[in-house]
Amino acid sequence: MASPDKPINTDVPEKNAFALHFLQTLSNLRTQNPFNSPNKTNDRVTKIKKAAYVSMARAAGGTNRLWSRALLRRAAKEDNKIVRLRKKRVTWQRRRRNQRAPEVERLRKLVPGGGGMETSKLMEETAHYIKCLCMQVKVMQCLVDGLSPK
Amino acid sequence: MLEGLVSPDSLSLSSMDMSVLERVKWLQKQQQQEQVVSQSSNNSPELFQILQFHGSNNDELLQSTFHHFQMLGSDFGPNYNMGFGPNEAMDGCISRTSSCQMDQVDTMGIMLKSSDEDRAVALKNKRKSEIKTKEEEKTEKKIKVEVETESNMKGKSNMGNTEASSDTSKEISKGASESQKLDYIHVRARRGQATDRHSLAERARREKISKKMKYLQDLVPGCNKVTGKAGMLDEIINYVQSLQRQVEFLSMKLAVLNPELELAVEDLSVKQFQAYFTNLPVVVDSKPPIMVDVPLFPLDQQGSLDLSVINPNQTTSIEAPSASWETQSQSLYNPSTIGFQY
Repeated sequence: MASPDKPINTDVPEKNAFALHFLQTLSNLRTQNPFNSPNKTNDRVTKIKKAAYVSMARAAGGTNRLWSRALLRRAAKEDNKIVRLRKKRVTWQRRRRNQRAPEVERLRKLVPGGGGMETSKLMEETAHYIKCLCMQVKVMQCLVDGLSPK
Repeated sequence: MLEGLVSPDSLSLSSMDMSVLERVKWLQKQQQQEQVVSQSSNNSPELFQILQFHGSNNDELLQSTFHHFQMLGSDFGPNYNMGFGPNEAMDGCISRTSSCQMDQVDTMGIMLKSSDEDRAVALKNKRKSEIKTKEEEKTEKKIKVEVETESNMKGKSNMGNTEASSDTSKEISKGASESQKLDYIHVRARRGQATDRHSLAERARREKISKKMKYLQDLVPGCNKVTGKAGMLDEIINYVQSLQRQVEFLSMKLAVLNPELELAVEDLSVKQFQAYFTNLPVVVDSKPPIMVDVPLFPLDQQGSLDLSVINPNQTTSIEAPSASWETQSQSLYNPSTIGFQY
């Protein structure tokens, strides 16, 4: 049911939760794979990035948001894990697919899980995603500043 | 189907029938009010003539539907009387009762999709338009608006009834009617399109999208200056891309820093952790500047995070995140003290 008066719900994501997840993931990575293994920088970069995104998705409502669901699903797929997320119906009209604007298409590719969204839903998800990205950048910036040798 | 029609108050109705009946009831109520108003304000003989004319038409129509019902079911008679009894008992006014019966017959004809359907709809529309012309002679704007909204609603309900097999059409018409109520004059200006429910739904959808675009515009810095949807979307895309690139750059920095440093998260107690991160600036208030081409991060910009506990001796190597760290984190840190919710 389309209700036009529903306020757009984009809560500020919990930065404590994200930072804790992220740090925990990093430390776990260290304990699981000890440091005598050959470190390839590129590999490490992608893994840290992935850890950051997964932590962000988990901190930002877990599976409640469409983009976080898509992110978690993608991450789990890369790990060859069996994904068990509750199925959710995504309402969108197939007939609209050939008449979309090119800018919206570009945005769809940027936002995780944006391919199957309705346009208005995509806007809502983008707003939340932007907020979460801001939070993530802040926290990671703090981490880098704290870790960098003075 | 027949049972639901004949006894409208029975609880065994399907949702579609219920909604249609409720709408019809509401419309009836409004019509009665309207007609009372019109009779009290201008007792024009023309209106009576019209109504009586429809009453006479109504009789034959009623008979035909009655035949139809008799063909379909035998237990129609008592229920029929029961359904129409209160209306007649309410007042003895000819015009009102005739209009009420008319509505009932109309709905029956429509919902049964009998041969009377087209005639009933046509009659209803005709009567509506005539009443509307009557009403428009008045100077009271309120009544006018009421009538017009009603006529719009009526048209939509007709549309819904004639094609009422899918729930989606219902929803679309409902949402469209809501939007129509919001900017009523806007829709009224181009009435020729408004009867098409596809264009109504499309208009409602566009409104929704533009509302959310406005929200996004507030969120993205520098988006207020850009006019036009395409430019706004471009700005939003650039912002998201810059943020993603920033994350990539920061993770690169972390990866470079990591071999020299150890993240001794296990040693950190919860209170220490909270002390570190409550000093962080609020995320939403101050947005970071867009750094697409300038990968410059001032190191002492946000030096509130003090990780002096960390020993810069051991090497940290990284593996892909697994699902196990979540449970470990929950066992290590009591979630209630920090306050995440899962």
